[in-house]
Amino acid sequence: MSGNGDDTDFDASDFDESGSDQSGAPEFQGGAWLRGSGPDSDIAICTRVRLARNLVGYHFSPQLAEEQARQLRDFVIDRLQKPGLPEQLAIVDLDSIDELERSVLVERHLISRELATSRRPRAAAIDSDESVAIMVNEEDHLRMQVFESGLELDGAWRRAERLDDALMQRLPIAWSEEFGFQTSCPTNTGTGLRLSVMLHLPGLVWSEDIERATNVAQKIHLAVRGLYGEGSRALGDFYQVSNQITLGRDEEQIIDDVRLAVGRIVTWEREVREALLRGAARARTLDRIHRALGTIERAQILTSEESLGCLSALRLGLEEKVLSGFTVADVNRALLLSQPGHLQRESRQRLDPDERDERRARLVREVLRVQL
Amino acid sequence: MQYCSACQTALASVVILDLDDGAVTGSQHLCPTCAEQLGVAQPKTPPKFSAEILEDLLGGLQAPGAGSAAGSEAGNEDSAAETGSAGKPRRGAARQQADACPGCGMTVSEFRSKGRLGCPRCYETYRNDLVPLLQRIHEAQSHRGRLPGRLAAAPPATDERDLAQLRQRLEDAVRGERYEEAAKLRDDLRRLERGESSEGTHS
Repeated sequence: MSGNGDDTDFDASDFDESGSDQSGAPEFQGGAWLRGSGPDSDIAICTRVRLARNLVGYHFSPQLAEEQARQLRDFVIDRLQKPGLPEQLAIVDLDSIDELERSVLVERHLISRELATSRRPRAAAIDSDESVAIMVNEEDHLRMQVFESGLELDGAWRRAERLDDALMQRLPIAWSEEFGFQTSCPTNTGTGLRLSVMLHLPGLVWSEDIERATNVAQKIHLAVRGLYGEGSRALGDFYQVSNQITLGRDEEQIIDDVRLAVGRIVTWEREVREALLRGAARARTLDRIHRALGTIERAQILTSEESLGCLSALRLGLEEKVLSGFTVADVNRALLLSQPGHLQRESRQRLDPDERDERRARLVREVLRVQL
Repeated sequence: MQYCSACQTALASVVILDLDDGAVTGSQHLCPTCAEQLGVAQPKTPPKFSAEILEDLLGGLQAPGAGSAAGSEAGNEDSAAETGSAGKPRRGAARQQADACPGCGMTVSEFRSKGRLGCPRCYETYRNDLVPLLQRIHEAQSHRGRLPGRLAAAPPATDERDLAQLRQRLEDAVRGERYEEAAKLRDDLRRLERGESSEGTHS
């Protein structure tokens, strides 16, 4: 019962064997989490606000009969298309695109894997910047997400709040004074707010301080999970910190909790990075970064795990001015495009894991322009 | 369901809310017997109009800065949630654990095994299971934060007519036992009477 009823979040995406030979997904724009800009972007990659909302008059999505689910989806789409919404959203009919293209959307964090694989009538509404996405008929009728680059809690929240206001004006949202917004899973009841910050913490991982750092967040009931990798196993030193409590604390308090914990972790990471690049530790750190570059330049086969480890080291090298020749945005692009959905879409065919590893090695070299 | 905080044995059916400037700063849950002993029991026959409560609220208006106004509310805590989904079953429905949710047909065993609710109405149907669960998950049992109802802020009132309208709404809120709303309206009234502009009720 205490299981986390959260969405699949920024989940691992390298374990999907799906594929097809169709192309034509939306052109790559680069979402908020790719830009490498925003406050504290040397460590904080992206901030995400997610709100869970349901409509009165319908069962929650997992209990919804197919016909009802279709009705709800069509109703929501109709209301989303009425003028006056603060975001320009394009409706994506997830049934009319193939599995591979749905994987691409998952890898861009715009929809969850649950929504991608769900058999019930569903839809997504996505803005052209890929910084706002609404999922229809996921675990809740509506799951809206707003992404901002860097550590931008207030900005992301304000934008989500405006969108939420607009949706509440055009849709009958289920709520009560006592329990707040009523959600399918009690872990989201209340504000329905999940606030996450994606962090790159190579310093804390390399110095083996990561566990103590994540305790800071856990003490105030925040979850720290790997951004890539299965379960809580973090690959590539990428983590996400998010609130767990949604009831009994208002939005401002939740934002303050996340700000407090992430602020401490960011400061700690900076101190550790400085220590890693000073004195006796410096040679070892530089060695690690340059070895990663050597691997990226020469490797003919790159598993996603090795690739994530190397790209993490390169990102650190760039942020700490140890490397040059490509940018953090390039590294972020390589991270995104080297995932299975994107790799297969790029090559317009289904690839087995060995073929993907080979393509990945080539793609990363191309994106970073480190071809020898 | 909570036990009486005085005798710890009987189920509480009277809730005393401490209000400070419109915000609930504390609460006490009492059983009818203890409530009567403490002199805060709800009269046996509810009055047509909770004049005393309104007086308390309005008393706060006449003497701004007065400490806390005690609102006593008996029996149905749901009254505070009247602006919520309509047709809510009364608390008694929560005891029919063996029955499926009238909203969606989900049974209690389904709810317990999945840990998911089937529809908004399940929140009332499975209240007895849900509240302790929420307490374990969130270390809280009730919501704080934004709600659609709170977006419908009081319209800015600038003249006597608006004041009269606000007073009427306050009276209605008290009559309807919507004390949270009443407390907010009282604050709005107080602000207006001081000549400040209304900030609405959305905080």
